[in-house]
Amino acid sequence: MRRLTARQRLAAQLLTALAVLFLTLDMAGGSLAEAHNGTRGFLGALYRGTDSVLGPVRRFVIAVPEAWNNQDKVSKLKQENAQLRAAVDVRDVDAKVSGQLAKLQLRSDALGRKVVPARVVALGPGAGFDWTVSLNVGTHDGIKVDQTVVAGDGLVGRVLQASASSSVVLLAADPGSGVGVRDVRSSQLGVATGSGMAGYVLSPLDPNADLKVGDVLRTGPVGKSSYVGDLPVGVVVGVNNTAQGGTTATVRPAVSASGLDLVGVIIDSHTDSALALTPR
Amino acid sequence: MILRRTCAATAALLTALLLQATVVAPLTMPIAVSLPVVMVMGLALVAGAPAGLSVGFAIGLIADLGSHHPVGIFALTWMQVAICCAKVGPMLRSMPSRVFLAAFGAALATAAATLLLTMTGSAGATLQDAIADFVPIFVGDLLLAAIVLPVVSRVEGSDSLRGGSASASHDAGVEAAQRRTRAEIAGLAGQWR
Repeated sequence: MRRLTARQRLAAQLLTALAVLFLTLDMAGGSLAEAHNGTRGFLGALYRGTDSVLGPVRRFVIAVPEAWNNQDKVSKLKQENAQLRAAVDVRDVDAKVSGQLAKLQLRSDALGRKVVPARVVALGPGAGFDWTVSLNVGTHDGIKVDQTVVAGDGLVGRVLQASASSSVVLLAADPGSGVGVRDVRSSQLGVATGSGMAGYVLSPLDPNADLKVGDVLRTGPVGKSSYVGDLPVGVVVGVNNTAQGGTTATVRPAVSASGLDLVGVIIDSHTDSALALTPR
Repeated sequence: MILRRTCAATAALLTALLLQATVVAPLTMPIAVSLPVVMVMGLALVAGAPAGLSVGFAIGLIADLGSHHPVGIFALTWMQVAICCAKVGPMLRSMPSRVFLAAFGAALATAAATLLLTMTGSAGATLQDAIADFVPIFVGDLLLAAIVLPVVSRVEGSDSLRGGSASASHDAGVEAAQRRTRAEIAGLAGQWR
């Protein structure tokens, strides 16, 4: 055991005192915070420089024990990733469908009628009309010709043909289709004729009817209309006075004819259908 | 000579800190195996108390400043344990025993620092860590010391740093030479008798 010389002992005592002083200073207040920050920044720069050189070596050494398992791990992760991705996709679709179903349920509640949800499986001209869609439900599910088809936001059209497990719907936007409507504000009745993507053209029964931009139209019992009453059809966006003295209006549809996905067919209340949403 | 030794010590110190942060710490992640501490202990063993306590204090202070805990903890513990190592050093001649002592001292210094950290209420340090991690840290330090000590010993003993060896009066080399001389004298005396 070697003893320290007097000078060495003095140096050791001084440095110990200095260390304790630093310790108390730093703990008492933040008086050494600047020194902390400066050194950390300086060392951080050095670490980054060193790591750019030594990092590959370190990563190699760390990876050595797992060198032979990685292929398995990669394939397992890939598989898991694909599953998760599929789950996410399904989840998105589920969320959308659930939203649409909720709207249909609300519609069913509001009308007090059973609604059979259906998916649009085909769209295009058919059966002598330009604007038709095919649904994946048919007479098995309680669908009959001339039943009203709605989407969450309003009127879509009516059933034109129904086979056992599919049906064709004539969209209200078809130029050959006329829907009896009522102006909610002024209670005026009229016929909304389809005009494709442009929506509808409203011809009021009274040529001098009071129509304004922003008027909301809902289906109304006009003539032999087969539509269920009180469904939103659209909003008046333009009023035109014809040369003959009559008035027509351009109507923006409540439901876009080209973006249909999940729709609902309003069926008779006494029909049994496993699929139907019943009013609550 | 003093200048050269200071430069060499500074270079070694910075290298040890950088290697610690970029290689040693990431590789020994859960436990606190520390290259700078091992280097300080090795230096204290090989070069004696003055080098041990000055380098221990300096490197400890830099390590303190570069961390988030109060300044002075590493400086204090590393310097004190280095002094202890320097005191015991001359009793151990063989390299394995020195490696062992350096590793033990390093583990002790780390445990002491953890204790102090616990006392100052720094986050992440607990008394249980100081006790439970002692053996793993000791084993890690042993591996490091087996690499570091021969290097420190070789460099410290090299001519360019030692020169006339007049700077340090109680260097291990000087003492070894003195002891050798004494042994020779004794041997000669034995022959004469």
